[in-house]
Amino acid sequence: MAEFSWLPRSPLEHALVAGAYGARDVEPGIALTEIRNFDLVQIMARRGRWADLANAAKARFGVSAPDTPKAVSASDVTLIWSGPDQFLALSKGGKHTMETLSQAFSQSASLSDQSHARALISVTGAQARTMLAKLSSIDLHPAVFPIGAAAATSMDHTSVNLWRGNDRPDGQAVFNLLVFATFAESLWHTMLDAAAEYGVDIGHSEEFA
Amino acid sequence: MRIVCPFCGERELGEFTCLGDAKPVRPAAGASADEVFDYVYLRDNVAGETSEHWYHGGGCRAWLKITRNTLTHEISSVEPAAGVGAAKVGA
Ligand SMILES: [Zn+2]
Repeated sequence: MAEFSWLPRSPLEHALVAGAYGARDVEPGIALTEIRNFDLVQIMARRGRWADLANAAKARFGVSAPDTPKAVSASDVTLIWSGPDQFLALSKGGKHTMETLSQAFSQSASLSDQSHARALISVTGAQARTMLAKLSSIDLHPAVFPIGAAAATSMDHTSVNLWRGNDRPDGQAVFNLLVFATFAESLWHTMLDAAAEYGVDIGHSEEFA
Repeated sequence: MRIVCPFCGERELGEFTCLGDAKPVRPAAGASADEVFDYVYLRDNVAGETSEHWYHGGGCRAWLKITRNTLTHEISSVEPAAGVGAAKVGA
């Protein structure tokens, strides 16, 4: 029998080169960080079962599941609205996986593992909004896109889940992007092109921003 | 052109795909060939308000029912298609 070795690899493994990119001799206006090794489960209510799903989610996660475009954070999970009657559960360390969630939602929802189907990119820095404005038609002004705001939208013709996380300690806004793994490299290059003029600090991390 | 998705809010046209006329109703099994032909192929060429199915594929992936004026492109209503967003439409 053939031996298989399943080694999780980032879809950006080849495209991402850590370090400085674009304009030099300036303070980098953009930081692009890929977050690796996360657990991501799509949770979709069965028809007419949203109320049951909401109850189960509250019991499981300790926060109310988002039923409008927003991201809700608990201590060990972020629930990201992804469409009517559905959301994504993003976490680390195996706490909220298909295995651990399936029982809690067996009556109300269908679950689908997206852990290795998406890349997670965090965008921050003084020029983050200016750079994202080249790619996105979503208004990211703080007055209309505050912390916890989310959007299922398209960037460069690629579907993304975009949400605003907590600000960095220095007060800079953080924008998180989930993109389909097979489109990640393409969007990554587009983002680098958009960010180059501001100077980019590229990295990857095992921790959420 | 922008469309106000009932789930996502106002979005650019590029996030949506038009399926077409929302009026045709699938004939019952055993319908005549003429009825099936009509359902599959024949469409009214409306000058004025028309009802269409659109798909928010670049966003929340919901199907929508849109009332659009073919003369002005004015959209007078956008609602979830049947079965979409069960909590919202009670379907
Ligand atoms: Zn939508």
